[in-house]
Amino acid sequence: MDTRRRTFLKVLGGAAGAGIASQPLFRAFADPPVASDEFFVLIHASGGWDVTLSLDPRNERRGIIEPGSTDTIDTAPIRLWRDAPLDADSSTFEILRPSGSSLRFGPAIGALAEMPDRLTVINGLAMNTVSHPDGTFFAATGRHLAGGKPVAASIDTMLANEFGRESLLPTVSVGYPSTYVGDDLDARVSPLRVSSVDTLSKMLNRGNVNTTAADRLAVTAMLTEEARDLAARSWYRDEIEGFGLQLQALPRMLSPDVQSIFNATSLAAAQPTFFPTPAKRFQARAGVNCAFAVEAMKRNLVRCVSFSSASHDTHSNNYRSQPLIQQELFDTIAALVRALDAAPHPTRMGRRLADHTHIMVVSDFCRTPQINLTLGRDHYPNGSALVISPKFVGNTSFGRADDDQMLPANAGTFADGARAVAPPDLLATFVSAFGVNPRKYLRDGDVIRSLLRA
Amino acid sequence: MKTTLQRACLAALLFTLGCNSTPAPATTPPVTTPPVDAGAVVTRPPEVTPTPVTEIPGHEVLAQDRTPKEPPRLMPAETLIRSYISLFGGLSPQALQVRLRGATSDNLFDTWGDYLSALGVPDYAVDIPRAPQTNALMLAAFERIGVALCERAVQNDLRGAVATNDRVLFRFELPAGGRALTDEEFGARFDVLHRRILGYPAALAPESRIPRFRALYQGAVTRHADAGARSFNGPEAGWASVCEGLVRHPEFHLY
Repeated sequence: MDTRRRTFLKVLGGAAGAGIASQPLFRAFADPPVASDEFFVLIHASGGWDVTLSLDPRNERRGIIEPGSTDTIDTAPIRLWRDAPLDADSSTFEILRPSGSSLRFGPAIGALAEMPDRLTVINGLAMNTVSHPDGTFFAATGRHLAGGKPVAASIDTMLANEFGRESLLPTVSVGYPSTYVGDDLDARVSPLRVSSVDTLSKMLNRGNVNTTAADRLAVTAMLTEEARDLAARSWYRDEIEGFGLQLQALPRMLSPDVQSIFNATSLAAAQPTFFPTPAKRFQARAGVNCAFAVEAMKRNLVRCVSFSSASHDTHSNNYRSQPLIQQELFDTIAALVRALDAAPHPTRMGRRLADHTHIMVVSDFCRTPQINLTLGRDHYPNGSALVISPKFVGNTSFGRADDDQMLPANAGTFADGARAVAPPDLLATFVSAFGVNPRKYLRDGDVIRSLLRA
Repeated sequence: MKTTLQRACLAALLFTLGCNSTPAPATTPPVTTPPVDAGAVVTRPPEVTPTPVTEIPGHEVLAQDRTPKEPPRLMPAETLIRSYISLFGGLSPQALQVRLRGATSDNLFDTWGDYLSALGVPDYAVDIPRAPQTNALMLAAFERIGVALCERAVQNDLRGAVATNDRVLFRFELPAGGRALTDEEFGARFDVLHRRILGYPAALAPESRIPRFRALYQGAVTRHADAGARSFNGPEAGWASVCEGLVRHPEFHLY
């Protein structure tokens, strides 16, 4: 009888604990951050990139594949383009094989070819769509759109929810397909979605002629107390508590140190490598965003910076610029890696930002292996991704597209059998690298253990 | 036999077609008027007396769920801007922008366009959806706009010689000679602003609200006691702070 009573009490206590823990607010604060010293940069190469020129190079006519050539591409600005014979009157490119690396790249890879040890390449990504919105959100959330709407949180929101609750800016999303969907998300981690970083600076300007900063601080402090009291009286507390926490963060937002990171001129002075002369033709905004990421992370102001690049959507003879668009993006990412190498970590003495910053680059899908009648390439349901992270095994390629049609081929045996790798697998692997249970956010996807460092 | 059968069928077919092709003459039903019964009295149906639900058998004790069914939502940015416009003079957006920018270089306001993204207005040209929740930058924008609205209202209403009823926001008189307000005098004036901006009497708000705003007002008065001519004097700064506290209040932005 005693045993049964004890068992009953244990179950009762467990049920009560589970009940308390399932309250939204409790859940928001119950899970301690697993590794709150980590930073994230998530990049969406918008429009669908042509991976045959970079991450999954093809320089032969095989099956339906028509490689990029001097007939279709403006090769002059492509630094790593080396002619290889294709036809009597046209040339394709030589595939790059960085020394000491098993990776193969096309010439559009740019400066990233100099750091193969840092790169983890995923090819043959089954995008299963040729729709820009669907591919964009599939890459960011691991779920296809339902009725045109995203149905899951995006990767930047997931990471901010795990590691960025205490950050002044959990996620700054510059045109990235960020979504805030799900029951387990903290109110504070709603992505700060903006069209460009420097447009924010006007929000932080203040005049001091009639009243002073002390007056505004007093109002903010009073409102913080009001929000706290209202939250205590509310049935649903999260929204008002979030309001109060954001009010608390406001004085820091308005400090000159923070204002400078939202100003392109200040960013150019602090990170000149992202602002080359002459300016980049396509990816100048990516440079601003990367400079912002480095400066904001150095100050420990932001947990996640996500942004979309200039469009790779080249259906017609604008395809001639496709390798330059990619080269500029990859050059910018290489500059970001070097800047992170040179920046000290804000909270870990003696560590570099690069040791705790994790970059993932994806796209909507890739482009057709055929050249169309207007000398461009259309949408194709294959994809590639790039990860630069100390948590991932570098100098590695995973997955493949087949040799004749460039469609995703089996990459191994997953929980549901042999199949190609897909975005949910990549996202599950990425979040699990930081100790996060992927099932907390992702319905699908297996963790690819071989990509993670022990 | 076969021929006879065919003939019979053909005749039957022709008969049928003939019947179908000849329309039947239209018949109009005769209009009949019901006889009027002069002795009948038209009366209203008996009224049903409402019965309280608790008097229905089995409903003597009826639990009613009055809990809110969804959390507070953020006011859409368009509604917020419309509220700003109607509360602070009812001007057009462009005219209010001109007033807020002012003639002097006091850096109070830029343009509405500069604040739209921070306020959460969607920008479908670059695939930015509507912001469903507040964030730190949005609150910074609330402050930027709130300061501009309130300081311009103080300049117009309290510095200018505007009749009380013609004022934009501060439709009350201040004591002559800059005399300090008593708690009662402050409460009456605060109630005017509270009703106007938050839409209900201050007396119905949580008890701590009036003392809290009173302290805010008094703090600003003290800080500006010896302000120069260009800056706001004590009461002006105090009412600007109170106004700012109301237009940045969680109850103003969430519903």
